[in-house]
Amino acid sequence: MSADQDQVLADLRQFLRTIQKPGKPVESLALDDPLVGSGLVDSMAMMQIVVYLEERYGIDFAASGFDPERLASMASIVALIEEART
Amino acid sequence: MYLELQVGELAEPISGRRWGRDAIAREVALRTARLQRFGLARGDRVFLPFGNRLEFFAELLAIWRLGACAIPIDARLTAFEVTTLIGAASPRLAVVDDTTDASVVQAMQAASVPVILTSATGDIEVVAGASHLDDDALMLFTSGSTGAPKGVVHTHRSLRARWIALREHLGSADFARSLCMLPTHFGHGLICNCLFPWLSGQDLFITPPFRPDIIMRLGALLDTHRITFMSSVPSIWHMALKLSRPPKAGSLQRVHVGSAPLSAHLWEQIRGWTGTRQVCNAYGITETGSWVAGLADADVPAEDGLVGEAWGAVIKVLRISDTSLPLSPGAECAVGETGYVWLNTPALMKGYFQRDDLTTKAVVDGWFFTGDIGVLDAHGRLSLRGRERDEINKGGMKIYPSDIDAVVERFAQASDVCSFALDDELYGQIVGIAVVLTDQQDDTVRALHLWMRQHLAEPKMPSRWWSVPEIPRTSRGKINRDAVKAACIDKPSLDLVRLLAARTQ
Repeated sequence: MSADQDQVLADLRQFLRTIQKPGKPVESLALDDPLVGSGLVDSMAMMQIVVYLEERYGIDFAASGFDPERLASMASIVALIEEART
Repeated sequence: MYLELQVGELAEPISGRRWGRDAIAREVALRTARLQRFGLARGDRVFLPFGNRLEFFAELLAIWRLGACAIPIDARLTAFEVTTLIGAASPRLAVVDDTTDASVVQAMQAASVPVILTSATGDIEVVAGASHLDDDALMLFTSGSTGAPKGVVHTHRSLRARWIALREHLGSADFARSLCMLPTHFGHGLICNCLFPWLSGQDLFITPPFRPDIIMRLGALLDTHRITFMSSVPSIWHMALKLSRPPKAGSLQRVHVGSAPLSAHLWEQIRGWTGTRQVCNAYGITETGSWVAGLADADVPAEDGLVGEAWGAVIKVLRISDTSLPLSPGAECAVGETGYVWLNTPALMKGYFQRDDLTTKAVVDGWFFTGDIGVLDAHGRLSLRGRERDEINKGGMKIYPSDIDAVVERFAQASDVCSFALDDELYGQIVGIAVVLTDQQDDTVRALHLWMRQHLAEPKMPSRWWSVPEIPRTSRGKINRDAVKAACIDKPSLDLVRLLAARTQ
């Protein structure tokens, strides 16, 4: 993972801390662990993740379409951000 | 008496499973025989701690065929909450599915309630018709899962009154292919979104409730299954409008939105996205069989709070909210005057189960006090202006602060507590809590959090916590939740994430 991706991931973790359910540290999750399935966030929090990606990275889901699998884990979200920036 | 109506087909669009009418008849007959073998008889009650799948509806009809009462309950309740409900309802049996939590199954078995797996039907079929029109058909718990449960009881008569009224006002053609994404354990989802179309002979498409991955594909789902009708809550639309492409097939004829306030802005957005003007702010309460009013005229511009005309009910807006006094004609508000909404409908519940005290407080001479504040216009259209009910509306799910407070009050290191609603962009409202602890140690907060997780269903868990020195009370010693919220909102809440992470490190 590049230094840039490391920063994206660090920022993402920081954001997830603000919306996560208590009792499940973000740090305890592997990059590929499912965010909802692991109990870190509830399913409706996906909407908050979408808003974060729109506001921070300018990803327009209304234009690009949406695949829920792309938000399933930290790894897939970082890949989505990377894709949107290139 | 054979009360069953003509059912439509059932489908699960996500799994691809589908039952035609013949399959439904067989599945119901198999379950009727099985419930009979377990000794289910007229007047008994059956817990159904699962839903939103084909088998749920077959169990429901089988229970009714034997003259018993079905009690669908939220699958997310804790074992503690389920035990509390068992204590109140004394079910004869429980039917579960393979997703029912083991702790809930153990709690039912510990309470000597026989537990049956819905898929375990056997091969014997029985056709029965033991229900009478005034038998209890459905009990839906609306609050009290941690203390004194409030179970709304509907008879076959009151349910039929609701469905007949809806058919008279709305017809059945728009409901030919109805989609339900709402949970089947509450009135809006079960009585109106599911049973009204399905028992009117229309096809019902049922999905797991509140699943974002499904909501995000809503447009495609509507097109693939040529859905003509769906109901939902505003939080589903916040997500769908942002993330799902609009439907292209033009199959949608009618859309209802309910269980939470619908803004004019969101209303018009839904009209644009769905391609139908027939979007309706459906007003309903479990006690009245859910939908009791809505808009008939699709050309009426959306307005904040606008509901519309009564469906099988008489709506009165009165100046009085005291249910201990007889109603008087002089109490009626003039057109345009704001007051308390009262309803009179043949679909009114029989009462709260074994809680005549509560029934008496809610119903006066057949009129139900809704706790909503509203106004009628010159056309008889109702608009809502607010609520006096003590509830938190989290994405359409009604959470009662007293249920949360009752759990905290049992925690040894908590001397006072008040939970309240906080505004939230996505859910509409979320839960906040102020608690007075006998000591301010992090371990005490952690222990309280663990205690609450063991006793409260996850959706009821507070999102923001404040540790306070005291809970302000009125001069009469009552808690004013708005005042507690105002005292907390500008102060930093507990950093629960840090506190609880420290425990796990």
